[in-house]
Amino acid sequence: MNRRKSLIGVACLWGIGILAAGTRTHAADPDTRQLTDAAGRLVTIPAGVTRVADPWHANNSVVLMLGGADKIVATTAQAQNQPWFRRLYPRIKQVPAAFNAAGEVNIEALIGARPDVILMAYDGTLPLWTGAVSAYRVPIVMMPNRSLAELKTTVHMTGEVLGESESRVAAEYLRYFDDNIRRVTSVTSKLKSLERPKVLHTASAGVLTVDGRQSVIDDWITIAGGINAADVVGLARPVTMEQVAAWNPDVIIVGTAPNQQNRQAILDDPRWRQIKAVKDGRVFVNPSGVYLWDRHSAEAALQVLWAAKTLHPAEFADLDVGKETRNFYEKYFHYALSDDELNSILHAAPP
Amino acid sequence: MRRSVVVAMIAAPLALLYASLFVGRFTVAPAEVARILWSNVYPIAHDWPASVETIVMQIRLPRAVLAMFVGAGLAASGSAYQGMFRNPLVSPDILGVTAASAFGAAVALLLSRNALELQVVAFTFGLAGVFFTYLLARVYRATPVLMLVLSGVIVAAFFSALLSGAKYVADPESKLPAITYWLLGSLNAASTRSLAMALPPIIAGSAGLMFLRWQLNVLAMGDDEARSLGVRTEALKAGVIVCTTLITAASVSVCGIVGWVGLVIPHLGRMLVGPDHRALLPMSFCIGATYLLFIDDVARTATVGEIPLGILTALIGAPFFAYLLRKTRGTWQ
Repeated sequence: MNRRKSLIGVACLWGIGILAAGTRTHAADPDTRQLTDAAGRLVTIPAGVTRVADPWHANNSVVLMLGGADKIVATTAQAQNQPWFRRLYPRIKQVPAAFNAAGEVNIEALIGARPDVILMAYDGTLPLWTGAVSAYRVPIVMMPNRSLAELKTTVHMTGEVLGESESRVAAEYLRYFDDNIRRVTSVTSKLKSLERPKVLHTASAGVLTVDGRQSVIDDWITIAGGINAADVVGLARPVTMEQVAAWNPDVIIVGTAPNQQNRQAILDDPRWRQIKAVKDGRVFVNPSGVYLWDRHSAEAALQVLWAAKTLHPAEFADLDVGKETRNFYEKYFHYALSDDELNSILHAAPP
Repeated sequence: MRRSVVVAMIAAPLALLYASLFVGRFTVAPAEVARILWSNVYPIAHDWPASVETIVMQIRLPRAVLAMFVGAGLAASGSAYQGMFRNPLVSPDILGVTAASAFGAAVALLLSRNALELQVVAFTFGLAGVFFTYLLARVYRATPVLMLVLSGVIVAAFFSALLSGAKYVADPESKLPAITYWLLGSLNAASTRSLAMALPPIIAGSAGLMFLRWQLNVLAMGDDEARSLGVRTEALKAGVIVCTTLITAASVSVCGIVGWVGLVIPHLGRMLVGPDHRALLPMSFCIGATYLLFIDDVARTATVGEIPLGILTALIGAPFFAYLLRKTRGTWQ
């Protein structure tokens, strides 16, 4: 645990360093620029980036949101298989999936796609293929992904890498994100600890796993005025049914596809019947769109609103999550959602 | 067997079963457990919260009972196979049942099926895997031991490759961790419903093995000797395979891969009662039940998260076995 904590500490320091120093410094060569990535490395990238490889499933949705999706030349099968991503950006199906689920690369497919730069999530180690790729002089920009603050850093960095117009969208998005957080915390920061419901966020159903502390999920639960019931560290941790009963959460949020079916499985299972959330009818499915709202995604900006409204419906009676969602998709994905489509996203159903 | 040994071997799992009902992350007093159990037989006033009753009756009891039967079934299967294959290194998954079940479970997880559907799919794949092995091993209306072992290796390799393929395409945010944890083994899926599906095959298979146990002594001498003594070896082998497959497929399908139990408990049994299968099988059955129940109590109690069973069975079992091995210098054979 100590090692993990120190890693997170180091990652935070880098994050602060990146924000404080500003990522961009001009290199001597006018055709290139340099930035410091989350691994603390000074990375030289072309001045104008037109081709990016994105082996990070979640970050593909960030690139789409920033308006840079046409630059994606290599992606992952997981990103291609997100039903709403495919609906909003059909070209993703034609982009070669050079990376597999485990983040391993087909090096020939990757090099064949001729990327200017590779965007990758940094969890404390460089990917195993770093050496192989650097032999082809393709720069890899590592970006952090352990918290909402780091998600914001990643959006900023992704914009920086992609170019001027994407940077402008990133700045606008981050303002919107911060406004949403402020809007929610202005209410939830006044809540006493007894008024904060204990929230259990499940990550898979066939084998019961839950999302614990030090994660994006823990962050938005706290912002939305809840307490993460899962007293474990990290995402998708296996826990016993008995431990769930001991935590006795006030609210359960089902975060796995097919969410509706998994929610029903909880409601039908006698072992869950005495859990407070089930007795009170407070078992919800997490919305899911271009990416899973609850995780590292562009829609995390909407997730804080949805979570606040879900945990504290009375306090946020004037908050219209549907309207916010419609505006967000219109503005960032240039897609007008019909009523049915909006409803599907809010209930984590495919289009 | 001496009477005191018989009493101890039956009393130990039952005593541990009762203890398992008040050990856990959620504190329930032993007396309260007794009253809750009694209230299910004889109507008395309920002076405990409904949530406590759910924990004892819906969560702990099914889980503990399942742990006992899985442990018992795997240990008995291991004993039977070690006798039949005349090899002390054999475990119940030698004919590919575990690999096939694991692939079935991974497919169910990939398709987001619920725990009960997963159990059915994994069980079916386990049976199918062994069926393939048996067909492959059959030459001239006989199934020589060597052919069985090699066919098992082939089928297991094939299903392991398919399993890797399933992991390769799994979504790393949710599906891949689920498959990984499932493969490490856990009894968390235990519920009254999963119990109702897993127990009949385990009990039927165990009863079958108990019925065949004296014939196993003859089979352990080798096919030719057994035949010359008038035992129908092919029918007997098929019977043993059907019984152990029912047990192992049902176990794996409900709790994932729990290694080591079927391999080592039979040795422990042999240290206590010798190689006679008439005594060895019941002894292995009881030790297996006690052992897995104890391991599972540790798995669900030691930390906030659940410790995968596959880790603990080996981590606790291996040093213990090493100790016994040194102490007896392997002379129980």
